[in-house]
Amino acid sequence: MKTKNYLALCAAVAVAVVLSVLYVPGLSDTVEQVLLAFLASNA
Amino acid sequence: MGGLRIILQIVGIAILILATTIITLRLDNQDADGPSILFPGGQLISGELHTGPEPDWSFTDDVSTIELQLVDPMSSRTIFIMESEGKIYIPSGYMRSTLGRIWKDWAFQADEGDGLAVARINGVRYERQLIRIKEGPALNGIVAKMAAKYGAGATPEAIQAGRESIEAGDIWIFEMAARGA
Repeated sequence: MKTKNYLALCAAVAVAVVLSVLYVPGLSDTVEQVLLAFLASNA
Repeated sequence: MGGLRIILQIVGIAILILATTIITLRLDNQDADGPSILFPGGQLISGELHTGPEPDWSFTDDVSTIELQLVDPMSSRTIFIMESEGKIYIPSGYMRSTLGRIWKDWAFQADEGDGLAVARINGVRYERQLIRIKEGPALNGIVAKMAAKYGAGATPEAIQAGRESIEAGDIWIFEMAARGA
């Protein structure tokens, strides 16, 4: 993938992630649970 | 060469997703009335503010986590609580690990600052003063309660290991004393 297309993909992914985290019900809690489990076992 | 480039691009996307998620969650929660599961929140606003004599803190044996807010800097997080001999205590672990120093910055701020805090327990807010406990006989009761409540049980081995972790600085314990006490 050319750099220009890759950067456009990155921007689109970032926007999609932000919107998903903010507006998909329960997603933020699930992500935090996974992060907490990771930190508890690796910190 | 083309294969390596694709792998690096995929890794880059994965890192981007993780970083974007963490930043979004942190920013989204920083001014909230209390913390989320993992990320700090803002000032504890809702809930009755307790006044009057100290309550019987033994009710906290049935409380898994509380919300704790430092006055300076103004931020709040979710944390364990232990009652021992009529006093309440909070732990902060991983204090000598690099990740712990980032994750548990509030404990350093409480220890180095004025220690003024507000705890919200079962929806009631309590104004407290955080005092770090590094040693002393009180640790036995605190560690026993911590092991019984959050560990595998208050065995002599668990209590000894807990004491050693605290005295080595791996776990920090703060008493949540009444202000002006």
